[in-house]
Amino acid sequence: MLPAVAAVLLISLCGLQGPAWAMTDAQVSEQCVACHDEDDLPDMRRSAHATTGDTRTPDCVSCHGRSPTHIKKPEGVSQRPLPDIAFSKNGGSSAHVRSSTCLACHDSNPKHMLWAGSAHDGADVACSSCHKIHTNHDAVMAKRSEPEVCYACHKEQRAQMLRPSRHPLPEGKMACSDCHNAHGSAGPKLALFDSTNQTCYGCHAEKRGPFVHEHEPVAEDCASCHSPHGSSVAGLLKARAPILCQGCHTPHLAGDLGALGGQAGVFPPGVPGQVSPAVTANSGGKNVVNMWQGRSCMNCHTQVHGSNNPSTVSPTPGFLFR
Amino acid sequence: MTRPTWLPPSCIAVLAVAACGAAGAEESTVDAKADATAETAVDAKVEVGIGLLSGTSADRALFGQHNGLRDRSSVGLLGLDYERRQPETGSLIRFEGIGLLGDTRELDLRWQRQGDWTVRAHYAQWVHRDALDTSAGDELQIERTRLGVRYSKIIGPRWQVAVSLRSENQKGSRLSGVGFSCPSAVAPDCGPTTGTEVGWAVLIRPEPIDANHSQVDARVSYAAGALRLSAGYYGSFYRNRYGSLSPEVPATLFNAAGTPLPLSEGLRSILTQPVALAPDNQAHQIDLTATYGLTPTARVNLKLARGLATQHQDFAAAGLSSAPAGVSNLGGRMDSTLAQLGFSARPWARTAVRAKLRYSDRDDRTPLALYGVEGASQYTNRRLPYTRTTGMLEASYQFSHDIRGTLGMDNEAIDRGRFTPTSAVAGITALRQKTDETSVRAELRKRMNENFSASIALVSSRRDGSNWLRNNSGLGVTEEPDPNDPSTGFSTGVFMPTLADRQRDKVRLQASWQPTDDLALQFSSQNGRDRFDTPSAYGLRKAGMDQATVDASYAYSLRWQFTGYLSYGNETLRQARPGAAVLSLANTSTTLGLGVTGKVSSALHVGGNVAYLDDRSRYRQTLDPAASPAYATLLAATGGLPDIVLRQGTTRLFARYALDKQSDVQLDLIHQRSTWSDWAWSFDGVPFATSDGTTVGQAVRQQVSFVGIRYIYRWQP
Repeated sequence: MLPAVAAVLLISLCGLQGPAWAMTDAQVSEQCVACHDEDDLPDMRRSAHATTGDTRTPDCVSCHGRSPTHIKKPEGVSQRPLPDIAFSKNGGSSAHVRSSTCLACHDSNPKHMLWAGSAHDGADVACSSCHKIHTNHDAVMAKRSEPEVCYACHKEQRAQMLRPSRHPLPEGKMACSDCHNAHGSAGPKLALFDSTNQTCYGCHAEKRGPFVHEHEPVAEDCASCHSPHGSSVAGLLKARAPILCQGCHTPHLAGDLGALGGQAGVFPPGVPGQVSPAVTANSGGKNVVNMWQGRSCMNCHTQVHGSNNPSTVSPTPGFLFR
Repeated sequence: MTRPTWLPPSCIAVLAVAACGAAGAEESTVDAKADATAETAVDAKVEVGIGLLSGTSADRALFGQHNGLRDRSSVGLLGLDYERRQPETGSLIRFEGIGLLGDTRELDLRWQRQGDWTVRAHYAQWVHRDALDTSAGDELQIERTRLGVRYSKIIGPRWQVAVSLRSENQKGSRLSGVGFSCPSAVAPDCGPTTGTEVGWAVLIRPEPIDANHSQVDARVSYAAGALRLSAGYYGSFYRNRYGSLSPEVPATLFNAAGTPLPLSEGLRSILTQPVALAPDNQAHQIDLTATYGLTPTARVNLKLARGLATQHQDFAAAGLSSAPAGVSNLGGRMDSTLAQLGFSARPWARTAVRAKLRYSDRDDRTPLALYGVEGASQYTNRRLPYTRTTGMLEASYQFSHDIRGTLGMDNEAIDRGRFTPTSAVAGITALRQKTDETSVRAELRKRMNENFSASIALVSSRRDGSNWLRNNSGLGVTEEPDPNDPSTGFSTGVFMPTLADRQRDKVRLQASWQPTDDLALQFSSQNGRDRFDTPSAYGLRKAGMDQATVDASYAYSLRWQFTGYLSYGNETLRQARPGAAVLSLANTSTTLGLGVTGKVSSALHVGGNVAYLDDRSRYRQTLDPAASPAYATLLAATGGLPDIVLRQGTTRLFARYALDKQSDVQLDLIHQRSTWSDWAWSFDGVPFATSDGTTVGQAVRQQVSFVGIRYIYRWQP
């Protein structure tokens, strides 16, 4: 008799759903949506987290914890405490806690296996720093809107992407994730593949070689010469030739002084004081104009990424002429 | 020289259909009953309209590099988005089409049963049109057509597999050419330009492109307890239909003064030699990635990989002759190894530790042959082995709930292997086998609380290396223990900045402030300095970069929101050359962005943004004391190299009016103005003319407007 009475009393005191500790996560979650109803939460019916048929689909408790003090504000507390796990950037849970919550389900994704210790992990970037959950369209999951999410922190890359020589990110043909794995990688700068070059070869396989005549820095690191996020120099170059090339190479003497066709003293007639203009009818191909204009060094050394020409006929292609 | 390519996209299409069919067949019997009773929701959207562009192709040179609108004055606008899902079964079919009537278009199909299997197929076509045009009418553009499929399957709670195939065809041409200047030490029989014949030439000969690149990725993953494992194979197969280019060279060419003259026979024989184009190549890699949770707060991860890259294109089939006797292809082979071990832990409540050790090795096993013949000198190709070992150790301490400090150390050691003794190097002063760089960094970070967060990070690194290897101007290199020995000739040398001793210092600042619920401000800056230390006073001496950005967003009301940013960047470098000019380059770049979105009424949404770029490159030259008087006269006459200035402003506006709950009409306006005083191809009205008179360039001032109107219809549950 006594146990039955106690049970009735308990049910009466705690409501039909019983005390919080006796409720399932689903039942606690039902309490969440009593307040966070359709008017409070954005539409997320197209989200993967709204797929009830997937047994892995989380409920509120899966991500936010059971949060008893949030559900029922304790007496004597002026402000309702945040949920156990809060994704608010202002006073919410730590980045580690937020990411761990997501990884509890998502760490079996091979792309996420190198997250722990990655650059973003170490910089307190949480999954929710980039991903939005309560939405139908997570901007970072769509190629066209993903870069804007990355630019929220990577301002230098945003500025570079406005330059005329760049990859087609503003047109939505590429996204940052075509070259980077933000969730951790074995490559530098979170490169998608294990090295910068391997990543570039994903689209520029013609540069892979190996070649009969290699250009050492090309084989070592594309970023030795290229600025992949954008440049004012054609070909995404870090600086225009010959300045770029002369960082390593002893220059041809005639091109040591930068000068252009159209400037005084370059083509005939010369200027007073000149024995002859810089370029004359008998000038050779290493004159100032050919060194500084057009494709500059690549006017002759056209195969800067390497040449597979085996010819032993002089001049051999070792200087990457052909 | 053309050869057949491999694995066209049509093959991938067949595979895609097969994969879709397999997936569907497997699941249709299992879940047909559930599908029949489940509630189905459909979201769909179709957009149709037309866009009109102003100006000529020249006006659209910069605007039209990647959007396929360079040569169009109008374009049809068609986009589709169809999604059918059954939340109760996890079944989803999504089909999306973007820009279907333009030259850049995409189709994406996703079919899945969430938590079970997924099939994706993707088709994309886009064009990269070079902003430059040639007077010869060459169309410098590359059209990429890509088809990819991916299938993934979850096999129980522990296993999942995924296979993806991607094939891309590339067609078109890119700016290239041939050039040579006689006389040359490597072409002693070739005479200089005289009053009767031309002895040098620069010619534009675009590189033809017709290639296929196919990639395969297969992966199996396993999860049990705290262990996650993934093993995969990646394959890359590049096939180029063109093996070589045989340049056509006219009988007469212009000398430097613009006079047409016959070209010397020696020069003709050089210029008409075939140019090797990118050879076929293939690469394979297998890898094992694992992560294991040692404790709830400590985790290790690991990646092991072995790779093989080969290149054995037949020289003769590519149209390339005169290979060393008995050598029909390079037989290029690179074996690569990667091992990475990572560790992260929070051993105490306030402390976090991260560590990483990474080893990568590229073993160049390409056979050696005597490809180099310069008179009596003969030398082989050169192997480029490369071993890179990096280590990182970092510790963070949480001083308070909001403030965290981090100290870290990084080390990178690179070993480029022993120089191939039978090969030769030219055009450089010296090489280095090993470099070693150690960095230390410190960061203090305050996380967002009470509406403010900030961080400051300092990084200082020092690189040095093994003894320099002097270029022998013939076979091999010679190690120089004393770089200051005058006999080395190093005092007037130029040393590669990628190998030189370097001191690098960086400061990074970041702050975010949200004074009200409606206003958010963000500031970030980076400053870096490189100082190079080499045995000579020449070459690259200093480099620097400064970057500062301010961002703001303001919600004026629930209807109107504003964003903006201002960014300033400055990059500098200073290099010197013996007996000539000391050159400094300073590139300053200012970008401004403003955006607004608003709801004028419940039916009318408007928005827009403005992006402005002002990019200036300043070149300053002063003469080395040993420079010739002729240089001094020329520099005085020219005033030095002019600045290169690019100014570009782009305005985008839209207005979307809801006709009813299902349909909208949207108007888009884009206006872009550009001015670019780049002297690479022309200065002050004097074009850089190649030896056959071909000129290359683009309009200095470009202005283009785009007007598009679209009708949008939606189906929603």
